[in-house]
Amino acid sequence: MANIQALIDKSQWLRLELLNMLARKKKGHIPSSYSCAEVVIALLYGQYLRFDPRNPKARDRDRLIISKGHAAMVLYPILADLGFFQKEELEKFTAPDGILRLYADNSIPGIESITGSLGHGLGIGCGYAYGAKQDGARNRSFVIVSDGECYEGSVWETAMFAAHHELDNLIVIVDRNGLCIMERTEKCMRLDPLEDKWRAFGWKAVTIDGHSYAEILQALDLAKENRTKKPFAIISRSVKGKGISFMENQAQWHNKIPSDDQIAQARKDLMINCIVG
Amino acid sequence: MNNAKELPRDVFIDVVLEELPRNPNLYFISADLGAKALDRFRVEAKKQFIHAGISEQNMIDVAAGLALEGKLVYVYAMAPFVTLRCYEQIKVALASMRLPVTIIGVGVGYSYDDAGPTHYATEDISCMRALGGIEILTPSDTRSVAETARLTFSRPGLRYIRLDRTFLPDVYGEGDRRFLDEGIVEIEKGKEVCIVTSGFMVQKARAVRDRLLETGIAAGVVDLFCLKPIRLDAFRAALESYDRLVTVEEHFLSGGMGSAVLEALADAGMQKKVLRLGVQDQYYFENGGRQHLHKLADLDVESIANRIRKFL
Repeated sequence: MANIQALIDKSQWLRLELLNMLARKKKGHIPSSYSCAEVVIALLYGQYLRFDPRNPKARDRDRLIISKGHAAMVLYPILADLGFFQKEELEKFTAPDGILRLYADNSIPGIESITGSLGHGLGIGCGYAYGAKQDGARNRSFVIVSDGECYEGSVWETAMFAAHHELDNLIVIVDRNGLCIMERTEKCMRLDPLEDKWRAFGWKAVTIDGHSYAEILQALDLAKENRTKKPFAIISRSVKGKGISFMENQAQWHNKIPSDDQIAQARKDLMINCIVG
Repeated sequence: MNNAKELPRDVFIDVVLEELPRNPNLYFISADLGAKALDRFRVEAKKQFIHAGISEQNMIDVAAGLALEGKLVYVYAMAPFVTLRCYEQIKVALASMRLPVTIIGVGVGYSYDDAGPTHYATEDISCMRALGGIEILTPSDTRSVAETARLTFSRPGLRYIRLDRTFLPDVYGEGDRRFLDEGIVEIEKGKEVCIVTSGFMVQKARAVRDRLLETGIAAGVVDLFCLKPIRLDAFRAALESYDRLVTVEEHFLSGGMGSAVLEALADAGMQKKVLRLGVQDQYYFENGGRQHLHKLADLDVESIANRIRKFL
């Protein structure tokens, strides 16, 4: 079991790092990154994901695909911290001489696939999982999708395929922050009952508080121990913009760049860690 | 005369099946399109066959995941569905990541003549040609289908392979591999004019040539096997002796093979008079078969010959 206090500390660190990236280059999707921050931290620091930063393409690594590609930046400070690339790259986010782009692709160490257009990551992660099963390998595929992404029909094509082929080495985490770009998902087009939908497609499914490490770790333990021959879905209820008072649950902040005053306010907000357990 | 005994898809799949013992990393995925050879494949190589169901988008993304795992992947479906239905998947997952996946489209042009516009592939060239880093090949006979299949494992890459649904008579003799080496082959020499075409329409071009010979016109016939990329040196060598070209395609004119020829002429710094013949800018809802559709589109032998006579 991972040390929860250490993870909680990472939450505050990661949010500040991301805010710094945004403040420097006036680019980035902060709210979507913050809503899945705890899940990503738990995966990479909680020993759920097998990887080797010195050998990012090692055959036996687990795969992590952030299919909601607009939030790819959430991984960058962590990948730098773990040694996948130099920390200086964070300063060069979106710069011509930097390797880190607004949307990620597999030219970046630690990134498994291009993402950015929604509805691809799960299928690609599924291909990984299928290949691993065929090879008798034990590696898993973790895919983080957004809830709005579940509007894409291709997500459900893959959901059927993965269940039929009994890919219990495939784990999807749905970042259920309840917002697409324009408005609340339930106003735009109803997604609930989302957990039931995954279950109906033949998946094991659980719903958790996506900002509670206790619940995230419990769900990831279940996913890791899963031998039911069913792929595993975690619906992670979250808050878009979690931690910045004026951004939380506000659709307008999806890709809006805050003013310097607002960045100062955000920094102040983040001085108190929004994650408690 | 049609001397082919096997359908293009069976020829292709049999060659891939033969390769399997040497290449256990190979995966063949079908979005619910069968073939006699695929029935053999599914028995002999059960593990290497995946039935994706009628879900082309997922098929392409899964193929990408497998290719990222180091597998050599084939995706197979009817031509209109394996291109347009999952176009963005091909762009994002295959083309942008430069994955060596072979896309096999069966039934190009009006191959599925009785089925109607949903099953016609008369836009696939324009669409697939627009993608970055993809090779597009249209084999015109059984031998070129088999050689194309061999190419997919001897030199893996991202390719769209356009197969006709019907039996294709011989164009190339035993051991003739010019289409692979050059991508463009002058299969009939001519004088006044040259017909540039590919695939199923090569036979039609030959018939047009015969018809024109009756009135003393010697039309050459060129098979543009590799639609993308066009190798300019080979293109120049095949066409420089002609003053006039006629492109003939079972495809819309916007962005199709004729457009590719015009672009190649410009890129090669060549000036020719060009007549582009293809499908009129509309969809046909008509019974009566492929030849009937060609008549409607002015792509029957008589119409093409007449239009060429006028062009000269």
